Amino acid sequence: MLHPILAYIDPGSGSLIIQVVIASIIAIPVLFRAKVAQLSRAFRRSKDPAERTDGTPVKD
Amino acid sequence: MARLSRTDTAPGHDVAAAGTIERDPGSYRDPGGFVYRRDGEILRQVGETLVGDWDRFVASGLAARLVEQGRLLPWTDAPLELAATADARRVLRPEPLDFISYPYEWTFGQLRDAALLTLDVQLEAMSAGWTLRDASAYNIQFRAGRPILIDLLSLEPLVDGAPWVAYRQFCEQFLAPLALIARRDIRLSRLLRADLDGIPLDLATRLLPRRSRLNFGLLSHLYLHAGAQSRHRDNEDEGAAARGARISASRLRALVTNLRSTIAGLHWAPAGTEWADYADNTSYTDHATTAKERLVRDLVTAAGGRLVWDLGANTGRYSRIAADVGRAVIAFDIDPAAAERNYRALSAEGRADILPLVMDLANPSPGLGWASRERRSLVDRANPDLTMSLALVHHLAISRNVPLELFIDLLADLAPSAIVEFVPKEDPMVRRLLAARRDVFPRYSLDGFREAARTRFRVEAESPIEDSGRTLFLLRR
Repeated sequence: MLHPILAYIDPGSGSLIIQVVIASIIAIPVLFRAKVAQLSRAFRRSKDPAERTDGTPVKD
Repeated sequence: MARLSRTDTAPGHDVAAAGTIERDPGSYRDPGGFVYRRDGEILRQVGETLVGDWDRFVASGLAARLVEQGRLLPWTDAPLELAATADARRVLRPEPLDFISYPYEWTFGQLRDAALLTLDVQLEAMSAGWTLRDASAYNIQFRAGRPILIDLLSLEPLVDGAPWVAYRQFCEQFLAPLALIARRDIRLSRLLRADLDGIPLDLATRLLPRRSRLNFGLLSHLYLHAGAQSRHRDNEDEGAAARGARISASRLRALVTNLRSTIAGLHWAPAGTEWADYADNTSYTDHATTAKERLVRDLVTAAGGRLVWDLGANTGRYSRIAADVGRAVIAFDIDPAAAERNYRALSAEGRADILPLVMDLANPSPGLGWASRERRSLVDRANPDLTMSLALVHHLAISRNVPLELFIDLLADLAPSAIVEFVPKEDPMVRRLLAARRDVFPRYSLDGFREAARTRFRVEAESPIEDSGRTLFLLRR
């Protein structure tokens, strides 16, 4: 869908297109970090507390 | 300047008969609103195309917030009768500024702070559903020591999914020159004077060292950006494709945030240029310095007035003396390192009464842009009550071969009063300047200076500086 860009300065076609690309690249590490955090949380949850190897008592 | 015709518009309200209305020659690009001077007062009118956005901007509370944060120039509403043309819908009275400076006169730190301000305004605006519709460096001025957005009509509602229309302008006017200075050479800041729209990105990438590609921000916003510009040369198909470019609000914020950290990561250390160590390296004894400071304070006080231009201010030692007796000072120096040091020190001290700028008095800013009037020359902008030229005359007269009469002519064109320090040939600093060249300056003497001064001024005070052989003059036109 087209939306109107009514700029009184010339925004430049290439400048409009490339910022979408750059913003997507910048978003990758952000998404990646969010995914890693999500996975590590899930992993910790799945791990049985009784298998802890540091010998500390497990509180439930 | 041409007087505006008042008969050129459709029926509207009456425009009160007035003295002169001069449209600001630098304010023609956006037909929706422009700045003009009416009976000596600076006003801005808002036309039909922008009045809706303007009213919503004010009603949204964003305008008041930006003003409160010191990011947007305060204004008051003025009556419609003060409009320049009959089709005006609003008339605004922006807070007046003492001096309009241009990006090619700023130090690296000033340009960087102006860039960061622009992005901070954009981030604040985006949070409220607004966006900057331009990012011109000429929309920023320095007021009370800090950059501030003066274009009240720069903000428009953010259209969901739309990319930032001012991205290209921001990169050309701010990122490219800052990267070139930080990564290549301070002298490349002069390119800003050559191209008022900013530095073309393909040129910037050709001038930057190759390793600049290793920086993600520079790689993206300069190199990839320049590549995209050359691939998508504007034609109808490309225009349609670009209009289809969509970006989510969160990604747009990520883009602007990344641009901000890229700018914040650019640094330039003021060292190794002409005068950076000069203040610590003069011929003055401590006693003479104290005597000179006291004399300067007395003469500035005697001269009166409010606005002072300190010419050849170096790092601003004497600018501070003038400011301390209540003057608003512009501290010009040819050396970007000295001006930068001055700017950093003033920022750290939180001083609001001194503005450092980079200026070569032997080649000051000319009139530039449309009809050579869009950006005004230094002399055209001259409004000080007093100039100070301390330890300057020998640099112009001997290093730059400027005859004393021409120097005096410039001072008389700039301001009604002048404080000048005359440095005789016997002075160690002048001997140093003359050491490697033939002395072709037979008229360079105290008598010669006095004679030259009298062609345009009367000598109100002439005070030898103890322990130095130098003389301070207070001249009145």
